Amino acid sequence: MTAKKFWSWFAVFVAAFYFIVPLLATLEFSMRMRRGTYSFDAYRSVFADQRFVSTFSYSVVMALITIAIGALLIVPTAYWVRLRMPYLRPVVEFVTLLPLVVPAIVIIFGYLRLYNSSSWLPLTNTETGSNALLVFGFMTMSLPYMYRAVDTAMRTIDVAVLTEAAESLGASWPTILFRCIFPNVLTGVLSGAFITFAIAVGEFTMPSLLNRPAFGPYLALIGANKAYEPPALAMIAFAMTWVSIILINITTRLQKGAAGAR
Amino acid sequence: MSYLELSHVQKSFGIVKVVHDFNMSIEEGEFVSFLGPSGCGKTTVLRMIAGFESVTGGTITIGGVNQNGLKPNKRNIGMVFQAYALFPNMTVAENVAFGLKVAGASKAEIDARVKEMLDLIHLGHLADRYPYQMSGGQQQRVALARALANKPKVLLLDEPLSALDAKIRVSLREEIRLIQRKLGITTIFVTHDQEEALSISDRIVVMNAGIADQIGTPSDIYNKPSTRFVAGFVGTLNILEAKVENPDAATVRFAGRNMTIPPANLNGAGNGASITVALRPEALSLSKTPSSDVAIEGRVVSVNFLGSVIRTRMDVGGQQVSFDMFNNPGLQPPQIGEIATAHFNASDVLVIPN
Repeated sequence: MTAKKFWSWFAVFVAAFYFIVPLLATLEFSMRMRRGTYSFDAYRSVFADQRFVSTFSYSVVMALITIAIGALLIVPTAYWVRLRMPYLRPVVEFVTLLPLVVPAIVIIFGYLRLYNSSSWLPLTNTETGSNALLVFGFMTMSLPYMYRAVDTAMRTIDVAVLTEAAESLGASWPTILFRCIFPNVLTGVLSGAFITFAIAVGEFTMPSLLNRPAFGPYLALIGANKAYEPPALAMIAFAMTWVSIILINITTRLQKGAAGAR
Repeated sequence: MSYLELSHVQKSFGIVKVVHDFNMSIEEGEFVSFLGPSGCGKTTVLRMIAGFESVTGGTITIGGVNQNGLKPNKRNIGMVFQAYALFPNMTVAENVAFGLKVAGASKAEIDARVKEMLDLIHLGHLADRYPYQMSGGQQQRVALARALANKPKVLLLDEPLSALDAKIRVSLREEIRLIQRKLGITTIFVTHDQEEALSISDRIVVMNAGIADQIGTPSDIYNKPSTRFVAGFVGTLNILEAKVENPDAATVRFAGRNMTIPPANLNGAGNGASITVALRPEALSLSKTPSSDVAIEGRVVSVNFLGSVIRTRMDVGGQQVSFDMFNNPGLQPPQIGEIATAHFNASDVLVIPN
């Protein structure tokens, strides 16, 4: 083995060690609820808790709404910027990157200041209003990932020529967008969707300050009061992330035509 | 009134004028090529006909209907792009059916038309393939079938062969011409390849810097170029400086020799006027033929083997003259440095307006 190869493998092992050991330790600890033997008692306890089901379901629904609205907002925006306003790209890129530098707590305090019960639009007065604010917050946080995923997918197709081809065949704008462009950037939309899902399900700050019954605050609550359930929940969350990544891969491979075209 | 009329069409992008006063009438069923170098405005004119660019001035009418202001999806114009532009998420059949579906045709109608179109391009067996599973030539044939499926009023081809290899280009251009003749569809073909334009067009528009320099049949364009640009751009040409010796007798002096050319070729140039004359390399020959009446002598400076033809360049009184001879293994081509004599007929001399 050459020195170069040795150091390459060494780097891989160090990285693997860094990632895998804490995971194995968490898994091992989550299975030690029953004294003297390994068991899945902590997982059973988590799944038996009604609050787990309700908070998780709530977060999933919020995540799905965020994904739907986010895709409807971002795909046409990215498409239009690419097609008609390429000069606006730097501005749009800058705006979409802002959530990475503005902490969630700042965003949510801004929302609360603007939409509190004594403001001109008191969204926090109702559950629906608070839920809407939460969705907007999730959308803002997922903006950097969703926009980039969609924009990268659009880079792989010639948006302008496909649009002109569809136009010359008599297609209207909605037809062009939903039948010619959207299916070809589905991989990007799905990648963005899964990242959005992971953000929405695990987010603590926003639902906590909006007082919404989401999965993030539930995780924090369990972590503060129990010993074995938090690592079990961490492993469940980790498994969900991996399932999301696998789903991205599968959808990328199964997407008709477009996969091969890339 | 012709079927497709472009009247005083102009296009500017900001302060840059890319098309100046373009006028042309195209008859129904005609195959017209726009030929010119990159940036000459040929694609811009095509895109204005398609509706992708608005006209800055002038009018475009198809079948007597003014197209100005009409959106591209309302014009019923078929277009084939250089980059194929097939929808990657759709199969060949779905691509061809797309326009028909948009137009609201019935399923039976769509199926029948898709089959007809795929049979026309001989790709019926690939109906279920996706674009990425096909070669460039096959994709472009599908793009052609898709553009024709809706029975468009005009077919526009924007350098459709540029991305293909040489052999496929030749076969596909013949196929395009065959299909165009069969369907009798009015077609505009944009290309920068003179051979393509000369081989398949009814008429050619040679464009230069946003102006139609010459509009004519391939034979006219090649044999009677009306400007120096056309003469230089279409085919290989010997461009030489000469002087009018006797305008009444149409005698000009070139390379120390007087020759009499057809009077009409002088274009009214007066006595002593400097003129530019042109000669196609194939008009010159090393051996004297019964029709050749002028001989010029020069030193051979290069000999290029081009396969079926050998192109020789010689220096004649400081001016470079090229001539072609068929490759004959039994015949020795001239050698570099030797003095050769080339013969030609004075009536083959073209006078290019300066």
